[in-house]
Amino acid sequence: MFNFKKINNLTISALCILLTLFQSSCKTNIDSKRITIASSGKIDSLDPARANTLKALQLLSSLGDTLYELDNNGKLIPKLASKMPVISKDKLKISITLKKNILFHDGTPFDAKAMKFTIDRFQRIGTNNYILDKKIKSIETPNKNTLIINLNKPTSSIEGLLTSVNLTAISPSFYKNHINKFLNNDFVGTGEYVLKSFSNEVQILDPNLNYWDAKPKNQGINFVGYSNSASLYGALKSNQIDVLLSNSIDDSQRKDLNLLSKNKKIKEGVSNPIEVSFITLRTNIEPLNKKEIRLAIAKTLNREKISKKVSYGLRDPSKSIVPQIFKGDNLVSWPEYNPKEAITIFMDEGFCNGKTLNLPLTYRSNVPTDKLIALYWKQDVKANMGDCFSININGVESTTIYKNLSEGLYTSVILDWTGSYSDPEAYLAPLLSCNKLDKDICYQGESVYSGSFWGSKKIEKLFLESKGLYGSERLKVLLNIERLASEAIPYIPIWVSSQKAWSQKNISKPVFNGAGKILMGDLEIINE
Amino acid sequence: MSKNYNKLIKYTLFKLSVIPLSLLVISSLVFVLLRIAPGDPVDAILGSGADDIAREALRSRLGLNESLISQYFNYLEKLIHLDLGESLSNQEPVIKIIQNSLPASLELGIISIIIAILIGLPIGYLGLKNKNKKSDYISRIFGISTYAIPPFWGAMMAQLIFSVILRIFPIGGRFPIYQQSNNITGFIIFDSIFKNNFLALQGALYHIALPSITLGFLLSGIFSRSFRLNLENSYNSPYVEAAICRGIENKNILLNYALPNALLPILTISGVTLASLAGGALLIEVTFSWPGIALRLQEAITQRDYNLVQGIVIVTSFMIVSLNLLIDILIAFFDPRIEY
Repeated sequence: MFNFKKINNLTISALCILLTLFQSSCKTNIDSKRITIASSGKIDSLDPARANTLKALQLLSSLGDTLYELDNNGKLIPKLASKMPVISKDKLKISITLKKNILFHDGTPFDAKAMKFTIDRFQRIGTNNYILDKKIKSIETPNKNTLIINLNKPTSSIEGLLTSVNLTAISPSFYKNHINKFLNNDFVGTGEYVLKSFSNEVQILDPNLNYWDAKPKNQGINFVGYSNSASLYGALKSNQIDVLLSNSIDDSQRKDLNLLSKNKKIKEGVSNPIEVSFITLRTNIEPLNKKEIRLAIAKTLNREKISKKVSYGLRDPSKSIVPQIFKGDNLVSWPEYNPKEAITIFMDEGFCNGKTLNLPLTYRSNVPTDKLIALYWKQDVKANMGDCFSININGVESTTIYKNLSEGLYTSVILDWTGSYSDPEAYLAPLLSCNKLDKDICYQGESVYSGSFWGSKKIEKLFLESKGLYGSERLKVLLNIERLASEAIPYIPIWVSSQKAWSQKNISKPVFNGAGKILMGDLEIINE
Repeated sequence: MSKNYNKLIKYTLFKLSVIPLSLLVISSLVFVLLRIAPGDPVDAILGSGADDIAREALRSRLGLNESLISQYFNYLEKLIHLDLGESLSNQEPVIKIIQNSLPASLELGIISIIIAILIGLPIGYLGLKNKNKKSDYISRIFGISTYAIPPFWGAMMAQLIFSVILRIFPIGGRFPIYQQSNNITGFIIFDSIFKNNFLALQGALYHIALPSITLGFLLSGIFSRSFRLNLENSYNSPYVEAAICRGIENKNILLNYALPNALLPILTISGVTLASLAGGALLIEVTFSWPGIALRLQEAITQRDYNLVQGIVIVTSFMIVSLNLLIDILIAFFDPRIEY
């Protein structure tokens, strides 16, 4: 018969050899002086006209430059532009002077024609080209370093739009065969890194030795994607990656990583909070068409407790649908938690004492925090609202929700939003603007697509007015818009979230720019 | 014998002729089911922020504003010309995406089955050899337990123990970050051997080890249980009893009489398992970030990427049907008792 003892010995020896080989394979990576950043998911496309995932936009912001960008305080600063844009008196012409002697990664020069090529291409094929909304009439390039943007109508958000990663400058000569189609797996821009290799899961970036601004402080970046939160967390804890960048990591793991950073075992970098979570109330049906009912519902939401219970206090409770960074010191406050007042309103409206208002609340089943918010709110209402108000929760996959929002299928639904560009308008317009309305009901426009069906003629007027204004005057008008919305309560803000990144002890602390993108070039090995 | 072969050829030809019909039914079903499901690629790409005009423009660009009948016939026409179209989310040819991800699933599937056989068969044999003894009970419990463990839990535990705590294996991925895949066939192990690239082979084996051992371990119970049962039946059969009476050595009885018959069902199980793994082992792929076909399919469904979902389902269906046919032929070849 077989000699199992002999086989066992052989197997153990073979396993030992294999493990040794594997370990030496692993060591090669550890010895590397490159920095490995892990994030969730894969990148489908590196084309600025196509990219719309946070991860792809993050990578593009390191590979390329935009005309302007937001600094950490939310202030617009020139990047490829040499100074702030000059706006004509009639507000229909924007002149931008570009920096000189900037080269694309393929060695061709960056100039006004290249920028025109980029914007034209985005307008033509860009997946998110609706953000330009036919604002641009034409683009002129009177000389190599001057770009003139002619507008169809005065618009003040154009400055903010020029910070959009979707308008990252690309080399016309490299993209000459992709004028009308996407180039998904390659990129040639002007950024601090050059794309060395690309696959959906792993992207390798080398420093751009000819970069016009400060050179990266590291010898390159390996950008890797894992398909689930547990793998990301495990990879950082087992030292298999240097930096973990993810907004989609589970909140319990966020808490653990936060604790590790407090104990100085890892470092935590936090961006400005720019992602707003809120509940949309469908205002065109009874009883939510009554402002008082919406107010009472809003007063039952305990943001502070939800933040503590669901996100372990790591997301800031918010009483606004516009992140504070875009509003300076100005405050617009939406209704606060006050269950007693809520009960009084419900009683005034004929509820309580045997008559309960039952609110169907839909949450995105593929977003874990949404479910927890829904569950917590439901329990809190059950505990505090007696028979006045109750909540029925229902999970639906996000794509289905997006499809059905404008059909008016959801009485209330938990959603989130990050502006396509860094401006209060990028938060207000998608939630509040309306093209066709009667009294307070919107029949056509963006508030239909956000599921609230709420509109206001005053707000439309203010939106129009804001397009001809700049600076603090414009901000004042935009704040007025939010103030009007906060009185009508078509939405209930929940919290505002930041991008977070965690690095190992021997890597510098991750830093974000004002648009929530990690500054990869600032990451360095500090303890070799 | 030749009569049997003729029957087998007829059977094979019949099965081959049915394949296009099966694929037509499958592809039509997928086409309809995808369109019935709420949400479309435009909603997945643009989310809730875009207005009607932007949605219509994108829908028109993706060819989704044509009538369903027209879309269906366009799809069938392309399919007849073996054109699976382009992914709606990134305009990459579907066939290219499948070419990149299918080898990953097959590689993982094949190695996992080999590991399952290597674990399952000795355990099944030891159980039978020590029938009704301690090791037999252990082997039976092993068989049932591995079968009962939920794959996602097993995979997460393996990842936690071997990658996070012991740090023996990588947490996920198919090859080291610093090393790009050598794409000849897409099978990294085969490619690196073919290219004589030891470093790539080492990296590929290092990355496939944990997912394949985990999947192999989870599958091994079926093999151990089945092997034990079939070997026992073989030992109880008249031809083995006759061999014992003739005084043939135990080792020869095992190798020449009992084993060949006991291994036939293993061939069937291996084939069926491989066929099911051709569509990818989703939970293993998700846990270990293995860029296989199942992970791609899951992402494509989330993105409502109609063309990609249809393409993946058709290709994997074709593989499953073909593999099943191949197994039928192999069994008929090895077992002359089987008639068609």
